Amino acid sequence: MIRFDRVSKRYPGGVSALRELSFEIARGEMVFLTGHSGAGKSTLLRLLLMLERATRGQVVLDGRNLTQTADRHAPAVRQGVGMIFQDHKLLADKTVFDNVAVPLMIAGHRYAEIRKRVRGALKMVGLEDRERAWPLALSGGEQQRVGVARAVVGMPPVLLADEPTGNLDPDLSRELFDLFRTLNQRGMTVLIASHDLDLVRRMKQRVLVLSKGALVDDLVAGSAGP
Amino acid sequence: MSLLSKLARRWRAAVRRHSYSFFSSLGALMSHRVGTLMTVLVLGIAMLLPLGLHLTLVNLDRMDLREEQWGALSVFLTPGAQEPQVIELATEIESLDAVSGVEAVSPEQGLAEFRETSGFGAVDLLGDNPLPWVLSITPTPGEGLEQRVGALSEALLGRGLVERVDYDRKWLQRLGHMLDLGHAAVTVLVLLFGVAVVVVVANTIRLDVAARAEEIEVLSLVGAWPAFIRQPFLYSGFWYGLLGGVMAMVLVNLGLEYLDRPLARLLASYGHEAPLVGLGLGQTLGLLLAGAVLGLAGAWVAVQRHLRQLRVGGTLGKR
Repeated sequence: MIRFDRVSKRYPGGVSALRELSFEIARGEMVFLTGHSGAGKSTLLRLLLMLERATRGQVVLDGRNLTQTADRHAPAVRQGVGMIFQDHKLLADKTVFDNVAVPLMIAGHRYAEIRKRVRGALKMVGLEDRERAWPLALSGGEQQRVGVARAVVGMPPVLLADEPTGNLDPDLSRELFDLFRTLNQRGMTVLIASHDLDLVRRMKQRVLVLSKGALVDDLVAGSAGP
Repeated sequence: MSLLSKLARRWRAAVRRHSYSFFSSLGALMSHRVGTLMTVLVLGIAMLLPLGLHLTLVNLDRMDLREEQWGALSVFLTPGAQEPQVIELATEIESLDAVSGVEAVSPEQGLAEFRETSGFGAVDLLGDNPLPWVLSITPTPGEGLEQRVGALSEALLGRGLVERVDYDRKWLQRLGHMLDLGHAAVTVLVLLFGVAVVVVVANTIRLDVAARAEEIEVLSLVGAWPAFIRQPFLYSGFWYGLLGGVMAMVLVNLGLEYLDRPLARLLASYGHEAPLVGLGLGQTLGLLLAGAVLGLAGAWVAVQRHLRQLRVGGTLGKR
């Protein structure tokens, strides 16, 4: 589903964010990406969203070689990926319903279909009674769940999350990770960048450990953890 | 799924996306009513200026100011001229190439006309009618009319019975030139204020793009096509232009309503009764269409220029 083949990324100015990175994530797998700040986790996710280009190597997502994909196809790539951000990236002047509906509006779905799917996604994240609320009226945990609902409402095959628990307390973080596990059990390939090692260990899933842009460990599911 | 049904599905999705952008852009404008009203007012005034001048000229054109009628020469004959002599002179003048018609106005007709148009009954107190015979001569229209009328006037002055020749050709020529200048000014104003509308809308949309930079980034991150991101801004430009046109229309009609009575009184004193004309259906539709197109053009300029400057994904974690 996701394949990195000897991928390097060097930013202008000579900063090397990723070095010869190679790994593969199978369809339906749930994988954590961990490492210290600056290890290259976000750069890796940016490559998958085509926000950056690899300097060397190949990045393949769902059979498509992103290193050879033209920029004009980036929206199509992003539509096939659900992305969850640390800072939620919700639109403050739109209701919860409208925020979650954005990917479906972009795809041009009928309103009846949008309503059905948005309510389904909100129900899944436990916010079915907050669809008319404004994002700023929600707690941090609720805002993150809206972000999850928006990421999964289009039922993308891949879900990426960049430090999704960065602003949440331990209980909410655990709840969110359980939600990711549920989505994974429904067939979604999930890749989560997180430096919350305790939680990562507790999930007992495969863990990719990055350090200074290089893959230093690839721990299989159920192992002792990083 | 066949190619045809795929295309149909894509077409329906595109229509839905446009419909969403169309109405959401209107909603965005309505959510900032005061700001929108101010922009629309500025656009309306910008469109009003050439439109107002155009309507002024249209109304002037309607006021029977045609050269053929106003270019007539009035030939005042010497007091005591007898009717047979006058008829003979009129026939003679009518046969000239430079003349297309001659009307002889007797002193009695002249007095009656004066009494009717002036309402000045005291003329009846005069013992004798002081008015002479007058020949009203319509010159043959065409090129070099002013010169030909001048020559005709000179020639008529040399005749025995003629005491004075009056014609207002020069004034008419000036009026004609002023009207031509007015039409040219309308063209220049249309161009200038058209550019002004484009610039005002472009600037408004530029600010809108800057204010919604975060939303644009989010849309892009979740897979919006550039066209989908552009659409609401383009439709905003369309709405601004269209509403600017409506505002110009309202202002023009208010202006006409306000000016109608005093102008009607002024025109009545010149013997004209035609009411002021406003915008017809065609002109109204033209104005609205022009406003919408100019607004769209302004939005396009802003969107092309400023959306490119926004770097998407800049806040997705640290590098």
